[in-house]
Amino acid sequence: MGSGENNPLGAQNAWDMLSDEQSQKHITTGSGDLNNILGGGIHCKEVTEIGGVPGVGKTQLGIQLAINVQIPMQYGGLGGKAVYVDTEGSFMVERVYQIAEGCISDILEHFPHSHEKSSSSNKQLQPEHFLADIYYFRICSYAEQIAAINYLEKFLGEHKDVRIVIIDSVTFHFRQDFDDLALRTRVLSELSLKLMKIAKAYNLAVVLLNQVTTKFTEGSFQLTLALGDSWSHSCTNRVILYWNGNERYAYLDKSPSLPVASAPYAVTGKGVRDVVSSNHKRVRVT
Amino acid sequence: MEERMNQDQRSTEGRCGRFWNGMDLLKDVTGSKHFLPTGLEGVDTLLGGGLRQGQLTEVTGPSSSGKTQFCLHSASHVAAKHMGVVMYLDTSNSFSPSRIATIIDGTPGLFCQRGSQSTIFLPFFLPLSYGFDLQPKDVRLKNIMRSIICESVFDVFALSEVLHQLEVSLLNDKEKNGGSRICLLIIDSISSLLAPIIGGKYPQGRAMMISVAMILKKLADEHNLAVLVTNHMVSAGNGAVKPALGESWKAVPHVRLVISRDRGSNICTATVLKHTLLASGRTTKFVVPS
Repeated sequence: MGSGENNPLGAQNAWDMLSDEQSQKHITTGSGDLNNILGGGIHCKEVTEIGGVPGVGKTQLGIQLAINVQIPMQYGGLGGKAVYVDTEGSFMVERVYQIAEGCISDILEHFPHSHEKSSSSNKQLQPEHFLADIYYFRICSYAEQIAAINYLEKFLGEHKDVRIVIIDSVTFHFRQDFDDLALRTRVLSELSLKLMKIAKAYNLAVVLLNQVTTKFTEGSFQLTLALGDSWSHSCTNRVILYWNGNERYAYLDKSPSLPVASAPYAVTGKGVRDVVSSNHKRVRVT
Repeated sequence: MEERMNQDQRSTEGRCGRFWNGMDLLKDVTGSKHFLPTGLEGVDTLLGGGLRQGQLTEVTGPSSSGKTQFCLHSASHVAAKHMGVVMYLDTSNSFSPSRIATIIDGTPGLFCQRGSQSTIFLPFFLPLSYGFDLQPKDVRLKNIMRSIICESVFDVFALSEVLHQLEVSLLNDKEKNGGSRICLLIIDSISSLLAPIIGGKYPQGRAMMISVAMILKKLADEHNLAVLVTNHMVSAGNGAVKPALGESWKAVPHVRLVISRDRGSNICTATVLKHTLLASGRTTKFVVPS
C-alpha cells in the first residue's frame, strides 16, 4: 500500500472512493421510476449519454436536469448551478420557466411546512432564481463547440458551484459538415476525454444528448446512437429513450455499476414525471 | 519524448551484459510469473489460469460488452485473494467502488448464476472467505478495498507520467523489499487515450503509442506485473468490427481476448484472438454476475 501513498494527487484507494461515492447526492430526473434504474438519478463525476428519436423528450429531460440540480440542499437537492450548451437552438426559455414552476410546486407539496417557517429560503424558490442560475452557451458550429468545451475548464474553475453540464446535442454540428471521418473520430475522442476530466475534476455530472441514426447490421436496419462505434465508448453511462406504443420508456444500456433495465416516464406540463398510474403522489396533471 | 526513447535505449544496452540461459528463464517464469485468476472461471480456463504476470493482456469488444466488468472483476478477485496491490488507471470515470464492494462481498448472484461450473469455483474460494469472516465483514472489505488503488488519467501525457512514477516507486520498493507489491496494473481503456493521437499525417502519435507499449511491457517483465488493458472496436467495413489502434498495436499484447454480450442479457462470449501458449480461436461463455 506504500506505493499508493507515494502516488501523486488523484490516486485513491477503492475504500476511500466507496465512502466518497456513498456520500454523493444524485440529481433527480423528476421521475421516480427513471431514478430507480439510474441508481438514484444522474451521478456526479460521470458522463451520461442520453439518446433517442426526435420528440421523445431528450431536451425536456435536459432542461429538467438543469432545473433539478438547483433544488436547494434543505429540500434534498444539490443546490448547484447548471451549464447548458445548446447546439441545436432547442432551449425554449418559456418552457424552462414552466418546468421551474412545476419543480417548485412539487417541492412545496413535498415539504408543506418548511416554507412557512423560513421565508428566507423561500426566496430561492422562485422560477426567476432558477433561470438565473443556468449558464447558457449557444453554439453555431463544430469549431465553436470544440472551443466551448476547451473553455469550460476555465469557466468551471471560476464557477465552482456548477454541478451539471448539459450538451444538447453533442451530435448536431458533427453530423452536418464534417467530411474527414477519421479526423472526426479523433476530435470526438479528444472531446470526450476532456468531458471526462471535467466531470471528475469538478465533481459534476456531464450529460450528453445524442441523436439516433440507422445502422445496417445482421441483415436489417437498426436504430443506434449517432457518431459511430468509437464514440459509443466515450460515456460512463448510456440511456436510450424510446417509444413503446404511446408510452415513453428509458432503457439503461450501459453502466459500470448497474444492471440494464428499462422504465416508463412521462413528459407533463410540469416536466419529466412518473407515468400517472405507477405513482399517484407526485403526478397530478394540472 | 525523444529523450525518453533514448533513455529506454540506454537501459536496454545496459541489460545486454546480463544474459540468461533457458533454465534461468524457466526458473523466473515458474517462480515469479504466476497466473492471476480473474474470478470469471470460464475465462480463467480459456487463458490457461488467468492474467499472467510479466505479460500484457488486452480485452477488446464493442461498447457495453463487459470490458469494464472484466477489469473490475479481475481487480476485486486479485485483491480479495491477497495476491498483491492492484493499480487501476481509469480513463472513462467507470471505476465503480460500489461494484467492487459487491463483487468482493460475493453476492448470492456470484454463486448462483454460475450454474454447473460453480463446483469448480467454490472449493478454492470458500476457505479463503471463511478465513476472513473471522474478521468483521467490513474490516475485511476495507482491507481488500484499500489494496485497490485507482487513478484517473485523461491524456497520454498523464499516462506516461503515471507509468514513470510507478516504475520509480517499484524500483524503490524492490530495494526496501517490504509491504505489499503491485501485481496487477489495469488500464481501462487504453484506446481512449491513444485514439486521439494516432492517425492523420503526423507520426509522433504512433511513436508515443509505441513508447507507452514499451514501458508497459518493461514494467510487466521486470516487476512481475500482470498488465490488463482494454481496447475498443472500430468498423472494419461491411458491418464487421475489429479492435482499434491499428496494425502496429496488434503486435503489442501477449494475449488478446475479444468479448461480446448478447443484448439485454448478462451472458458474455469470450474468444482468444492471440495467446502465447495456447491455441487461439477458442471460445467460452461466461456470466457477469449482476
